[in-house]
Amino acid sequence: MSDAAEALVEAAGDGAAPRRTFELEDTGFLEVPKRWRRFYRHWGGPDDELGPNEVVCPVCKVVIRSHRELRPGDKVYCMPCMSRMVVVARPDGRLEAEVIY
Amino acid sequence: MEPHELDQDDFIAQVQSFEFWFEAVEGYLGDKPYGRDAEVPEPPLDDLERDALVTTLCNYCVGEAAALEASSGLVRLAPNHHAQIFLATQVADEARHLEVFLHRLAELGITDARAEVERRANPGLLAFKERLLRFVDAGDWEAAVFAQNVVLESMEDTVFRFHASVADPKTQQVLEGVVADERRHLGFGENDLGRRLARHPEDRERLAAVRAELDPLVLRSFEEAYEALGLGRDDRPSLGRDYLHSVERLGLTA
Amino acid sequence: MTDFLSQYSIQRWLEMCPQGYLEDTVYGHGPDQHEPEELLDNEVLREASIAVTVQLVAGERCALAASSGLVNAAPDYPSKRFLATQTLDEARHVEIFTQRLFDLGVKKDDLESTIQAYTNPNLVKFAEVLLEKVADGDFVAGVVGQNIVLEGMAFTVFELLQATSVEANPKFAHTLAGTIADERRHVGFGENRIGSLIRQHPEKRAEIERMQGEMSYHMLATFADVFGASGESMDEGRKMAEAHGVEPEATWHGADLAHASAEEMEAVLSDTVLKEFKVRLGRIGLEYQSPKVPA
Repeated sequence: MSDAAEALVEAAGDGAAPRRTFELEDTGFLEVPKRWRRFYRHWGGPDDELGPNEVVCPVCKVVIRSHRELRPGDKVYCMPCMSRMVVVARPDGRLEAEVIY
Repeated sequence: MEPHELDQDDFIAQVQSFEFWFEAVEGYLGDKPYGRDAEVPEPPLDDLERDALVTTLCNYCVGEAAALEASSGLVRLAPNHHAQIFLATQVADEARHLEVFLHRLAELGITDARAEVERRANPGLLAFKERLLRFVDAGDWEAAVFAQNVVLESMEDTVFRFHASVADPKTQQVLEGVVADERRHLGFGENDLGRRLARHPEDRERLAAVRAELDPLVLRSFEEAYEALGLGRDDRPSLGRDYLHSVERLGLTA
Repeated sequence: MTDFLSQYSIQRWLEMCPQGYLEDTVYGHGPDQHEPEELLDNEVLREASIAVTVQLVAGERCALAASSGLVNAAPDYPSKRFLATQTLDEARHVEIFTQRLFDLGVKKDDLESTIQAYTNPNLVKFAEVLLEKVADGDFVAGVVGQNIVLEGMAFTVFELLQATSVEANPKFAHTLAGTIADERRHVGFGENRIGSLIRQHPEKRAEIERMQGEMSYHMLATFADVFGASGESMDEGRKMAEAHGVEPEATWHGADLAHASAEEMEAVLSDTVLKEFKVRLGRIGLEYQSPKVPA
């Protein structure tokens, strides 16, 4: 994780609104074992609107999903490509994932 | 439980296991003999289109044979048993890719695939293969993983994705199955090297030199692949963008 | 050659394994199958099971290194593809037997030290003889060593272990049944592919026969060590079976599994493996070499 990402993670601290939670449904992503399939979906490209519980894996371009709204500092795993990531907020407010090695 | 709640060691043990691979490929290959639905009809291709497709598939065979030989050679170099088991699944993936492309060539009427592959192989790709196998033979894990799982896999991923978007339905399905496998290989390479470089940042310089050595071969291979697909210079997708992002994340920029 | 090798394709592997005998298994056994409580509670039996399973892990690690190393040396695409499926099979075996060690109570952090402590030194020597041929890129010797000698031994050992586990430990018997099914392909490939290569390279015969004699010697020494130390655990196993009213009636190659002594078991296993070697080697045009009998 870069220093900038670290600072952004720290800035998103306490006092935040409670997180929303989501029911995840299988979207037909078959590249991981059944029990994990609903946590991933195929990405439709730059026009694909992501939910507040979703980020795109920068390594393999699959959408990573969670039961709960994602916030900067959250750790997520991309099982299809085996990467571990931290969620960061970009200056325009978009959430992105950065790989942690 | 969410996958994101797993402990990192448990995550790695899980995703690099045979069981994980087994359940994953069962999902997307289970009902696809030779990588595609059996009932997809053979597309009508004129002689020129058929010849171009044969050349492209022959070069895919060169890349996959290189990946098969390199990944099998890497099994003995793997630093731990999880990585060793993962590489064994990659060996099977690469052999499957070689097999589905050879099978597609047979469907297109090629009877002596080995001779056809030799005749149509692009020199840039052959030079890359030769360099990759020298890294493996020398027991150089970092350089071999970089060349194979970052460079070669990124190159294949970019070309296969693009080709799948314009290919006939049969070839498209075959390519989509291959791309699904490549995700694992790409991710393994980048994450393994990323963890190593985090522990040994001094190795970055050496790998950057390997990258500088391989880049002209990568560039040449991309050009040859796009030429075989019949793409004019203006129509070519941004060359190796994913590859460049990947080396940037690893800090291997010039 | 190509026609026969088409039976050993990745496609065939996918149809036979994930969509065949391994479907709905977890680490090679049913999801509801577990190691018997009586075994886990009995320290003698548990330790003996760990010791035996460690030999299986060590053997499979050798097979994984050998089969992956032979891919590059293979002279044609179909052989490379078959060896790729074998590499995967061997990795699966390493994984399922390692998982059995965890099921028997070995802690993850203690895995390597446990394997080091229990691996029989003669089995290590057996592996070294084979891996030397693989490292030299000697495809014919490597395949004979791996797919005839090592796999021939594994096949017979797994059959014996399965026969003794069917009633006492259905989970382990199920795991072994899958590995036996895999070994059938490996042994079959070895015989079918190598026969023609031996005919093309008669000059390699003497060296390969020497390798077989050496590997057989280390194998017999391993059997002697393992059975020499198994008397107490065999008695415990039989007591446990009696206490539960299980009277195994099985015989294996003429040995009464319920009453045979450790020496008798060692003799019947050694005899069976060596007879198998003799027959298989004869079929591919090699002369079986009687190993020296370990002291």
